[in-house]
Order: sequence, then structure tokens, then C-alpha cells
Amino acid sequence: MAKIIIIIVQLILFIVVSPVLSGLISRIKNNIRMRKGQGILQPYYNLAKLFSKGEVVPENSSWIFRAAPFVVLASMLVAAALIPVFISRSPVFQAGDFLALIFIFALGRFFLALSALDTGSSFGGMGASREMFISSLVEPAFCMVVFALSLQSGSTDISSFGSRHAISVSSITAALTLFLVAIAETSRIPVDNQETHLELTMVHEAMVLEYSGRSLALIEMAAYVKQMVLFFLIAQVVFPACLPVGIIIAAIAVALVEVSVAKMRLFRVADFLGLAFVLGVVASVCAILGV
Amino acid sequence: MLDFFPKQFFLFDPLSIFFLCVIFVVSFPSAVYSFGYLKGGYSPAKITLAWFLFFIFVLSMAFVVTVSNVLVFLVFWEIMSLVSYFLVVFDTGHEKSIQAGMIYIVMTHIGTAFLIAAFMMMYKFTNSFDFNVIKDACQTMPVQTRNIIFLLLLAGFGTKAGIVPLHIWLPYAHPQAPSHISSIMSGVMIKTAIYGLIRFVIFILGVQSSWWGILLLVLACITCLVGIIYALMVGDIKRLLAYSSVENVGIILLGIGLAMFFQSINMPYLAVFSMIAGLYHLINHAIFKGLLFLCAGSVYKATGTRDIEKLGGLIKKMPQTAVFFLIGAMGISALPPFNGFVSEWLTLQAFFLGALNIMGGARVFLVICAALLALTSGLAAACFVKAFGVTFLALPRSNYAKEAKEAPFSMKAGMLFLSILVILFGLAAVKIIRLLAIVASSATGFDISSMSFSLNNFILSPQAGKNVYLSVPLLAVGLIVLGGACFAVYKLFNKTKVRIYKTWDCGYYKLNSRNEYTATAFSKPFRIAFSFFLLPYRKTQKIRESFYHVKSFVYETHTTPVFKKYIYEPLLASVFKAAKSMRSIQLGSIHLYLSYIFVTLLLLIIFMR
Amino acid sequence: MQGMILFAILASTYLMIIAKRMPALIRSFRYQSFCLFALTLIVALDHRQPDLYVVAGLLFVLKVSLIPYLLYRIIKRTKVNEDLGLFINPQLSLLWALGFTYLSWVFSAHLVISEKTALTSFLAVAFFIVLTGLFLMISRMSALAQIIGLLVMENGLFLLASTVSGGMPFFVEIAIFFDVFVSVLIMGLFVYRINKLFTHIDVNKLSRLKG
Repeated sequence: MAKIIIIIVQLILFIVVSPVLSGLISRIKNNIRMRKGQGILQPYYNLAKLFSKGEVVPENSSWIFRAAPFVVLASMLVAAALIPVFISRSPVFQAGDFLALIFIFALGRFFLALSALDTGSSFGGMGASREMFISSLVEPAFCMVVFALSLQSGSTDISSFGSRHAISVSSITAALTLFLVAIAETSRIPVDNQETHLELTMVHEAMVLEYSGRSLALIEMAAYVKQMVLFFLIAQVVFPACLPVGIIIAAIAVALVEVSVAKMRLFRVADFLGLAFVLGVVASVCAILGV
Repeated sequence: MLDFFPKQFFLFDPLSIFFLCVIFVVSFPSAVYSFGYLKGGYSPAKITLAWFLFFIFVLSMAFVVTVSNVLVFLVFWEIMSLVSYFLVVFDTGHEKSIQAGMIYIVMTHIGTAFLIAAFMMMYKFTNSFDFNVIKDACQTMPVQTRNIIFLLLLAGFGTKAGIVPLHIWLPYAHPQAPSHISSIMSGVMIKTAIYGLIRFVIFILGVQSSWWGILLLVLACITCLVGIIYALMVGDIKRLLAYSSVENVGIILLGIGLAMFFQSINMPYLAVFSMIAGLYHLINHAIFKGLLFLCAGSVYKATGTRDIEKLGGLIKKMPQTAVFFLIGAMGISALPPFNGFVSEWLTLQAFFLGALNIMGGARVFLVICAALLALTSGLAAACFVKAFGVTFLALPRSNYAKEAKEAPFSMKAGMLFLSILVILFGLAAVKIIRLLAIVASSATGFDISSMSFSLNNFILSPQAGKNVYLSVPLLAVGLIVLGGACFAVYKLFNKTKVRIYKTWDCGYYKLNSRNEYTATAFSKPFRIAFSFFLLPYRKTQKIRESFYHVKSFVYETHTTPVFKKYIYEPLLASVFKAAKSMRSIQLGSIHLYLSYIFVTLLLLIIFMR
Repeated sequence: MQGMILFAILASTYLMIIAKRMPALIRSFRYQSFCLFALTLIVALDHRQPDLYVVAGLLFVLKVSLIPYLLYRIIKRTKVNEDLGLFINPQLSLLWALGFTYLSWVFSAHLVISEKTALTSFLAVAFFIVLTGLFLMISRMSALAQIIGLLVMENGLFLLASTVSGGMPFFVEIAIFFDVFVSVLIMGLFVYRINKLFTHIDVNKLSRLKG
């Protein structure tokens, strides 16, 4: 029973806290750009607005379009439930390990891409195609991160690598890789741009273009949760002592990257993720060598 | 002496029984499916012939995996190849059937030639055709011979299994057969080659050199990637599935190759574990690839085309088939909580355990193999988003797709059975792994009584004491509960209305199916990213009415078939060249031909002195 | 007795080699077959094997009577030039044949280690006949010569089998006879068709069929 309560609290925490990260990043970016910018709580207002608005469903679409938001959010929440927050190990740690996380992310992405294709608009297809392209290149890098961290701790258990004592070359490299992965997975510059609504450059936004109202709110929520899960993992690697600080550091780093580099062309992204993959391999090799 | 009539022809060890299960698990629903599939499309005589060939095909495969004598094995192997050839050319209406059959039969016989060579060498050293006798005799075989036999077996079975670059026949032959046969060919027949590898290399020959496993792993990685990249490129749904079979054979061989590697460095637990991963993916692939081919067959029967660029919107016309295809696609994309997820997780876990527990530089190699597997699974997901999305979603792109009808009951029954298995093999992972452990132990010869792969009936735990768990039922429950919760929240804010309206069209006059993203467009990023290997080229042509007005625009893009162009065509050309140079002695005179024989005879007689 | 018959076989084979026209060739073939029949009969009488009687009977019926008769008929019906069309003239052919005789003698002497000279000579003659058959096929233009060449080779093989190994299994023997008979029928038909199509049966001119 206690476990179930912990899990529910953990999920609610994720749902409640995760939007603020986006608000924070946006705020930092605006501050650096010398703009006034929106408040840190803007994502909540957005969600509240979306929940109270009507919804338009494209007539060409099928049940896939309607069902996708639930699957996407559910898979992200499952991912969120797997990582340890309050106690050293998630209460449902037996459901899956670090490797399973890769596949759980893939589930959400799969349905999001299908829903984008389901609308029959070119933008949806474009977004789906690019998203699948980017994510398929992200997966090996992510896999390398998992390997590097797990090789250090001796198992693919998510909670085990938080309990390591010293911070090694391998874990720093792995965290860096994970950071690059997080940039790609949360559709940040230079891979994607959350703020754009220029049709030809958007990836994630193009996929969710047809969503509105509550469905869009669910999908946004899923994106926030995913972002928080990834930041959480980064924090656990580099700053296991105090996780909230680590998460905020990660958010600041993302914001800094976003303001300081330009968005890449889609085909340059392959090079970017290639770099992430190579870093991941380096991290794994370091883990094997024990440094 | 030649033991042509051995007392015991059959061998029913767990390995054989496992493969028998694989065969019948796919053949049974395919048979049910073919009731509906064959009806209407063929004449009654042809339907009878189809059933006849079907039964011989299934029986020959069943014999292949159960006989215990090399000669009998070869006989059934050939029957299997020949009957499948007849099934490939069964649809004589297709102009490409004959060509596909030709490529298939040539390749499969090249493969058999390698096998015969390997068996001859085995016989030379063991003087027996019986599996068990050979197995005992192989213990004393010199290393050199062993290596050569391994390479021959690898080439022979690799041809049948579709290891790159011997996969060339597979994307031609599999799509041409009737769909229920494609499902058996892709789901089961190529697995008999894996059976051959396990039976002859691991079980009989015994792995002693570690480079065997490494070689197989390298080949498997290449096979995975090449298979899935080509699958992403093609627009013919059955060819796409055939290329994806190449990829999945690669994944299976990753497990088998790892098992061989661990066997050679004598790590029983890891060998058995990797073997389980490989076998699990094997039966999984049989199930979901069988399912997907059956679905593709339904689509083909309903629309008359296999080109996904002409399909679309079928989810509304064929709702059940679409669900079955979606389940298969999710299985093959390794999405939780379906079966492909479990086996890919196991394979990755096997790589991880290997990288953790062995010594030396091979650890880095294993890590990189795992990364390539992850890349493959990402690409596979993309591939099946394309396959499902373009075929079933949005608007129909042609009249064929507009007028499609749902498949008849018998076809749906066959697909339903396999869909249930896709789910079941995900949820009941623990039970299946326990069974597979017995199979793996019989194949590798390691004792499994002290090994444990699970915590209880629901939770997998490959690393005892290390807190590594996977529970598919738990994940499924989590997904359903959380999805339900999301749905509840969604319904809770039910104050606003849901409007069904046109898709946003950018202010364009009217959105139609020509505005949809096509499969070619979908795969373009991949085509460009992998252009170093695919060597794409395009042709564009503007058809102008006047200088200012372009009436229409023609755009074509193709990828260069690298293996065909750079391996097979030069090979074929050199064969033809050799044949041409032989033509100078062929003058058409019977007398001359006879004198060739005569001179040979005379020389032989003189030489005898 | 057997030696004399063997000599007769040899002589009839030499006759074949120097034959210039078809009837002569067929006649010599008939002599050869008859000698073979006689030899088989003697062996049968010696060993008192009933199946050998049957074989001898078949030999007589097929090779001595029926096949030569058929061949004559083909010549008559095709109404072609009865010349065999020699690539190598009879004198030179004879020299070749002498060479073959020597070669096969040496070869069989090499094969048979023991001192059984009778067996050696049988072997030598058998080889010689086989070689001659092949030689006839090569050096004569007419399609009929090819048929006869094949038959001669078969005779040689029969001699080889019956003398060295004491005869092939009965059923094999019967099957071979049947085979030969049918092949003569078929080839006869072919020769007839070739003649009808090209108005000759000169194999040398049929050289267009090549890749």
C-alpha cells in the first residue's frame, strides 16, 4: 500500500513540477536575451487554458489520432514511475530497468508519429519523418549512456548508479552524452526549436500541429514529463547529492545552449547525434577501463 | 560403412521440438488464412495445388528439424527448397515471379553446395552420417578442418537465412509467393537455417575458437543494419517485410553469435542466456512476421496493389486488419508490452552482461554491437511507422484503396490468432524463458539446473542479486492504468465540445490525398543520412508549357542496389566471361565433341600406364 | 574355341574400320554381333546358366537380326548416298586401329596383374572395340555411322562385362538391350527426319547449333 502511495505521489510530483522546468528555461533564455519574457508559471496557464478550450479533430483521422495522447502520456508516466525519487529505489523497480526505458520512450514516440501521419496533412508527415529520423539516431547514443553508467555500477538497475561514490571520467562523459540526448529528445535548439511555428523547420511542433484543447494539453504534459525524466537522470549522474539542484543546473545548461547556438539543418543533426554517439562510446570505453 | 538405413532416423530433443513448435505456430494460422485468401483469386485446380504444395512444404520443414541423419536432412532440405521454389513462382500472373524464382533457386542451390561440401568433410573425418556419432567424432577433429567446416556451414545456412551479402534472393522471392506462403517462408523457412547453424555448429561441431562467434556477430550487425535500411527505402509492402526479415535474422544471429562466443570462452550462464535471447527473438519474429505478411496479404487482396504509395486510409475500410497490423508492427518495433520488446531487451542485456563479465578488448566490441542493435531498433520503429502510417492512416491515395473491403472471417481468424500470440509472448515472458532455457541447454550442452532467469512468474531477473528486473505484465498494467487515468482526466474536463473539422490546409484550396506525405518522402532523411551506402540518385524533369509556366514536374528517386551492382553483377559478368572464353572450343561439330571425349579417353588410358 | 571367336570379333571390327559404304559397315556389325552371340552361347553352355541362354537369345534376335534389318531399312527409305563420308581414309584408319589394338593390349596387361593371358586378351579386345566404336563416330560423317559406332561401343562393353565379371546381372543386361534397341529406333527416326529436313544425313554439316 505504501508503495502505491509513493508511486502516486511521485507521479503527481512529476506532473506538477515538470512544467515549471520549461517555464524556467524559457525565463532564463529571455533574460539572457534581455527580454522581459513570460513568467515562470506560464506553462501552467497554458495547460489550464488548453483544458478549458474546445477541441478540433481533423476529419481524415481515425482512432489512432484520438488514442495517441493517452498512450504518449501513459508511457512517459511509466518512465517517470521507474526512476527513484523519494526512496533509493522506485517502488515499481521490478517493472523495468534502464534498458527498458529506451523502449518505453520509443512507445510514446511511435504513437505520436502515427498520430501525425493520421491527420493527412503534409506537416504531420514531415514531422513524423524527421522525428523518427532523429530518434533512431538518438537511440544508439542513449544505449551507450545506459551501458556506460551500468558498466560502472555493474547492473542496469536505474537506482544503482545514483549510489556510486566518486564521479569518474566515464560518468562525466556519459552525462554529457545524456545532455545531448536530452536536447534532441526534448526538441531543443540546435536539433529542433520549440518556439518556432515556421512550418519547414519544426519537428515536434509539426507532429502535434493538429492537436488542440485537452489532447494537446496531454501531449504537452507528456513532453514536460519526458524532459523532467531526462534531467532527472542527468542530475542523478553528475549531482546525486542534491537532485533538485542538479535538475536546475541541467535546465540552465539547456537554456544556455539554446541561446548560444543556431538551429542546425536537419541533416546536420545526424552529425550532432553522431558526436553524441561517439561520446557515448567513449564513456563506455572509460567505464570498461575503470576511469 | 555407409549406414544408409540407420536404425533411428529421428531426433526429438528440446531443440527439435522447439523448432517444430515454431513451424506449426505459424503454419496453422496460415492454413486457416489461406481458406479465405485463395478463394476467388485462383482456379479450383490451382487452389488444390496450393494446398498440396503447402502441406509438402510444412512437412518437409518439420522433417528438416527432426531428422538425425545428415543425408536425410539434405534430402528434406532440398525438398523444402524446391517446393518453396514452386510456391514462389505460383503466381504466374506476376511478371517478376519467374525472375524471382530464378534468383531464389540459384542462390539456394549455391547454399546447398556449401552444405554438401561441409557434410562431406564431416563424413570424411567421422565416417558416419548420424548426428550423434558425428558429434562424438567431432571432438577429436583438427582445428583447421573444424574452421573450414564452420565457414562452409555458415555460407550454406547463411544463404538460406539471408545473411548479408547472401540475402540477395530474399527480397525478391518472399514477396512473390502467395501471402500465406510468404508468411511461412519469412516466418519459418529462414529459421530452419538458424536451426541448421545451431544444430551443426553449436550442437555437433562445438564452438572452440572465439573468432567464430565474433565473425557471426559482425555479420549479424551488418545484416541488421543493411536489412532495415533497405526496408526503410522500399515502397512495396511485402518487400519491406522481406527486408525486415533480413534485419530480424540479424538480431537472432546476434543472440546466437553471442552464445557461440560465450561457449568458446566457457561461460555457461551467458551462453545459455544469449541463446535464450536469440531463440526468443526467433519465435517472436516467426509470430509477428507471419502476422504482418498475412495482413499485407489481406491488403493486397482487398486493393490489388502492394505499393504503399497507392494505399492509405485503410484503417477505416479494414479496421480489424489495421489493428492486427498495428499489433504486429508494435511487436516488431520492440515496443512494450509486446513480444519483440522482451527479446530485444534480452539481447541487449546479454550484450551488457558480456561487456560486464568478460575480459579484454572484446568488451568494447560487444558494447558497439549493442549500440548498433539500438540503432537498428530505432530504424525499425521508423520503418514500421512508415509502413503502418502510409498504408492505413489518413486518406486513400488511389481508387483501389478507396474501394477496399475488410478481409473475410477465415483470414481474420488467422491474423487474430497470431495477434494474440504477439501479446501473449510479451506478457508470459517468464514462462517462455523457462521453456527456452531447456532448449538452450540442450543446444549448448550446458547444465541449467543452477541457473535462474526469473524472480517469480511475472518478473524476469537475468542478473540474480543485481536488482535487474523486467516485468512485462507490470509494465502493461502500468500503461493501462496510467492511460486510463489520463483518459479519466480527459473525460473529467468534458465541458468543452469536440468538433470534427477539416485538417488545417495552410489556406490551400482543398486538402486531398495528394497533399499527404508519401513513403518516399518519409524515408528521405534516412536516404540522405545513409547516402554513403545507398548511393541515391534522382531524376527531375520540368515539362513546360511556356518559359514561364511549368505544366508538370517529374521527380524520381532511386537508390543504387549496392550488393547487386558491386558484388553480384561483377560476379555474374566474370562467370559469363569465362563461359564465353569456353565457347571457342564449342564449334558445333558433333565429331569434334566426340573427339574431345575420345582424346580424353586415350589420354586417360595412356596416363594409366 | 573362344580364342578363335575372339579373333573373329577382332577381324570383324577391322572390317568395320575399312568399310567405305554403309551396307558394308552394317554387315560387319552383324558379323561382330554374331560372334558375340556365339561367345555368349559357349559361356552359357560351359556354365549352364539359364539366364545366359536368354541373353544370348536376345543378342541374336536384337543385334544380329533386328537392328541390322532396321538399319538397312533406314538406308533404303532415306535413299541417300550410301557413302559413309570418311574423314580419315581406310588405310590411315587401319593404322589408327592398329595403334588402338596395341594401346588396349598394353592397358589391359597393365590392369590384369595375374598371369591369365586369356583374360588379358579378352580385355584388350573389349577395349579395342570400345575405342573403335568411338573412332567410328568421330571419323565418319554419316549420322548412321554414329548409330553404329554407339552400337559397337555397346558390344565392346558387353564383351567386357561378360568376360571379366562373368556377365552383368540379368536384369541389367535385359535393360541394356532394351535401351539399345529403343535408342536405335529413336535415332533411326532422327536420321529419317534429318534427311527429310536437309536432304542429307551428313552430321558434319549440322554445325549451326552452338551458343
